[in-house]
Amino acid sequence: MKYCLILVFAILSLKVSAQQKQFSTDDNGKFIYYEVVETGTGKDSLMLRAKAFVDAYKKTIKKISNTDTSITAKGITVIDKTVLVASHPSGEVSYNMTFEAREKKYRFWLTDFKYIPYARDRYSNYVPTTNIGTPLEQTPGKLSAGAWKDILESAYNKTAKLAENFKKALATNQTEKLKKKIETISTKKW
Amino acid sequence: MKKFLSAIFSIASTTCALAQEAPTSPLEFSGSVDTYYKYDFAKKSNIPTSFASDHNSVSLGMIDLALKKKTGKASFVGEISFGPRGQTQSIPDAAANGSSFHIQNLYINYDFSDKFSMTAGYMGTFIGYEVISPVGNFNYSTSYLFTNGPFQNAGIKATYKFSDKVSLMAGLFNDWNLYSATRGVSSIGGQLMVSPVEGWTAYLNVLSGADPTGYGTIEDLTTSYQISKAFKLGLNAANYDKADDAGGYAGVALYPQVAVAEAVTLGLRGEYFKIKDVGAIQGTSYTGLTFTANIKSGGLTFIPEIRLDHNGDKPFVNKTGGAAPNAGQFSLAAVYAF
Repeated sequence: MKYCLILVFAILSLKVSAQQKQFSTDDNGKFIYYEVVETGTGKDSLMLRAKAFVDAYKKTIKKISNTDTSITAKGITVIDKTVLVASHPSGEVSYNMTFEAREKKYRFWLTDFKYIPYARDRYSNYVPTTNIGTPLEQTPGKLSAGAWKDILESAYNKTAKLAENFKKALATNQTEKLKKKIETISTKKW
Repeated sequence: MKKFLSAIFSIASTTCALAQEAPTSPLEFSGSVDTYYKYDFAKKSNIPTSFASDHNSVSLGMIDLALKKKTGKASFVGEISFGPRGQTQSIPDAAANGSSFHIQNLYINYDFSDKFSMTAGYMGTFIGYEVISPVGNFNYSTSYLFTNGPFQNAGIKATYKFSDKVSLMAGLFNDWNLYSATRGVSSIGGQLMVSPVEGWTAYLNVLSGADPTGYGTIEDLTTSYQISKAFKLGLNAANYDKADDAGGYAGVALYPQVAVAEAVTLGLRGEYFKIKDVGAIQGTSYTGLTFTANIKSGGLTFIPEIRLDHNGDKPFVNKTGGAAPNAGQFSLAAVYAF
């Protein structure tokens, strides 16, 4: 009984913690995902690693401009809808990403989040229904409130995952990573 | 034909070597269910277009189930439907003496590169604006252009994407709407897609070869433009000439749609459709106006619709069963997509 209560409490705590995850807002009331990261790496290396990250994600992130210390890019992330154990894309969220590097620290933020719903086309592929997105900050009507909440939650989780991957990429020396060869194992001697 | 196939395979082998390995996607599962009530003002089914045919009845559309999976550069789609819209009212089912299902899509695709792909199997037709699935249409009833054109094509096609704004498809197909060919791989088809500005996409289509009763050539323009967040305009124009002066059809349909609230969009379909003369037999022409609303709540869409059709040759009937130049109907449909 005691263990059951602990388990229920743990699940409820996880649920509450999951519900608390949401975008912050900036000075203009727009949703923003913002992080400042202190690191031991120099500015030039950070810039190289950030460029390599954008190149690696070229299917979903397009570089708009860059300077010696900054990169701006546009990206999209696909939102999935789960039915039983399988899922399908239900829409995409576009965003603007800005990265700025200084000596041994950098910051990045994602904002201007806009949602475009997908619909199934004649070949049963999911495609955008429009090219004009709806800002995520928009308060939905009663009819679509439930679906909108799921979209917000999914958009936040996908953004947090992208940010996590970005930070990992900026903490990794790409040159050393490439130099590392796959270890060969000889079965002749043992 | 030999040269065409050689060209396809040479492009394929070149681009295959350049292509990067794409990641595996999870199995996608989706589908829809639809049902409707229709009241015909003549108190009997009157308008001869596809689906939503029952008068004064709460009737079934279809349940549609689709699977999709991509592994590396290869993917498949399998989509099957059950119910009147997907069975007795679909042509392959009728030809098969009423089988218990209808395949909507069953094809395999291979992306040789980001730009070049090939697809083989049974697919929704690339001709026209409207489709069989109610999820893919704004109006619940269908146009004369849809009803008289191909529904689906089995075949093999190659698509080359020059950029996000231009792509070209060419393919070889069986006769229309059949799982297997009765007159061999007898049709050639092509599609040029252009997107001159963001939000505007136009498809120029040609299909020439065997239709259900003979041979002919369709030229088709299907385009839509999201002019503003609230306003979208669609257009479909087609001309079909059957071989040996055996008739055909021509028509145009305009689809303006305006979002009046976040969950409510109003739309109109205005159509002119002409069946061409066959020898001494005079053709006839229809005009149709359909007013439709889409009210959305999550995956559910309510579709109230009023439709008024006219034909001066009086092909319709009135309440007393006499010939009439006008026909009208009201319908309310519920479509749930998941």
